[in-house]
Amino acid sequence: MNALNLIEDFEKVKYGMEIFLRPPDFSVGTTPSEIIYTEDRMRLLHYIPTVEKPHPIPILIVYALVNRYYILDLQPDKSVIKKLLDEGFDVYIIDWGYPSGVDRYLTLDDYVNGYINNAVDKIKERSGLDKITLMGVCQGGTFSIMYAALHPENIKNLVTLVAPVNFDTDKGLLHLWAKSLDVDKIVDYYGMVPGDFLNQGFLLTDPFRLIIDKYVGLFDRIECSPDDAECQMRNVENIRNFLRMEKWIFDSPDQAGETLRQFVKDCYQKNLLIKNEMKINGTKINLKNITMPLLNVMAEFDHLVPNDASKPLTEAVSSSDKETLVFPTGHIGIFVGSKSQKEVCPRIAGWLKPRSLLKGTKEEKTGSSKEKSREQKGKNRRSKVNKK
Amino acid sequence: MEKTSFESVQEFFDLGLKNYDAITGRFIEMPALGPAREKSEKFMKGFSTFVNLYTAGMDSNSNIQTVLLEAMRRVQEKTGSEMEGDISPETYKDFYRVCIETYSETFKEFMRSGHFASDMGKLNSCLMDFQTYNRGMLEENYLKPMNLPTKTEIDEINKELYSLKKKVKELTSEIKELKERK
Repeated sequence: MNALNLIEDFEKVKYGMEIFLRPPDFSVGTTPSEIIYTEDRMRLLHYIPTVEKPHPIPILIVYALVNRYYILDLQPDKSVIKKLLDEGFDVYIIDWGYPSGVDRYLTLDDYVNGYINNAVDKIKERSGLDKITLMGVCQGGTFSIMYAALHPENIKNLVTLVAPVNFDTDKGLLHLWAKSLDVDKIVDYYGMVPGDFLNQGFLLTDPFRLIIDKYVGLFDRIECSPDDAECQMRNVENIRNFLRMEKWIFDSPDQAGETLRQFVKDCYQKNLLIKNEMKINGTKINLKNITMPLLNVMAEFDHLVPNDASKPLTEAVSSSDKETLVFPTGHIGIFVGSKSQKEVCPRIAGWLKPRSLLKGTKEEKTGSSKEKSREQKGKNRRSKVNKK
Repeated sequence: MEKTSFESVQEFFDLGLKNYDAITGRFIEMPALGPAREKSEKFMKGFSTFVNLYTAGMDSNSNIQTVLLEAMRRVQEKTGSEMEGDISPETYKDFYRVCIETYSETFKEFMRSGHFASDMGKLNSCLMDFQTYNRGMLEENYLKPMNLPTKTEIDEINKELYSLKKKVKELTSEIKELKERK
């Protein structure tokens, strides 16, 4: 019986290999979009709304420079973007592209006061509004926090997803390692720091699981023989899902050296942002300037951005309308895990809807009473989170 | 953790490095003389850069080997009773699971230590010094004499291009503002 199990497992590897020999087509980022603005390598994408009348305040999503934005739209049934569109939002996202050569000199100022600011201006111009919702993800969340503090007049709501703001924590390995990194030497040598260089760091956070067990697990999920057509379809779909994620993980653009230098030094090594001492192009970033509604979302089991790195933001800002949400998932799971579609996206949408209305409209008046009860619930939730 | 054979290797290597610093290193670092002074001095300095990288690599390697041994010991401890005979098919999967979990946890423990962080920082720093040195030598001794563009030159052009692009953006924005004012 047990020997049969062993043979069965070898069979799984064999079936898996058969699928790999004729790899299934797969695509990522398939939600229809249009490019409405480009600047250097950066593209601003506008997703085609799926409802007739989207909520008036558009959302601009800012993703990290590390890896690509399409993790938020990995596949139709695992797409934060699609979910937000279906919830009636007008969604934009910044695609940073693949920087090279000349981009090594780009600074944080270029990203925050340049690209992000120009994208915000473009959306304001298209929508005819003075303010938009900014949703920052991971490092893009940190950039969004910087932007919201420097240009609060442009932001109606700020949503941060797994975004680090307090870098002085020993909970995350990257936070520990970055302190001993001589970033000057790395940037001076490479110029554009290779994405693979950073990827090696990510793989080192759990090498045995990320380099061995992940692939063993893939073959373990192979369910049946090629004779069973229906089951075989599931096998192919499993592998397709795996390949999508694999593509995303290793699709790592090179990093603009000067930006990385300042980000590592000022944030990871000196922790200046949370102390309101960080400067961009000579201007101090004061988190107290953030007065707009804030939703600070994080993943409980995040190994890259631990909760200690994200939580302090809620207390650091001046916003009176602010909420912290912690979901029992991981750094990537928050976008593509089962909880993402069922819990994370609906909660973000629920928070945003009453805050995405224009002043004085009928919807806002009916929405404001709902908002108050939500705020009360939010306060209760916050107290629960704090107790945690 | 107990002292392992790799720590002894480390001690042996540290001793070798001390001797290098005291004897060979001093000869290598001494000022060069004669017509090829500049080149030979730069060339000799590269040797120290290499020795530093090699030392840092050995440091990291011996630490990793020590942790690997520790992980093996823990696996043996956990599976000892089951492993008295051969691994039977009924336990091979459990054995694999125990191995992955134990190796993963042991390495995470090690990687969480400040020791690993400073080790990795040092190794990276030495690697960058070595690579920078190699590139410098390549540019000076091969690319420049062959009249080929060097990375340093390309970087200068890129920097100039970046400044120009930035200036153009600033001017475009100023023109836009002026137009709007009209």
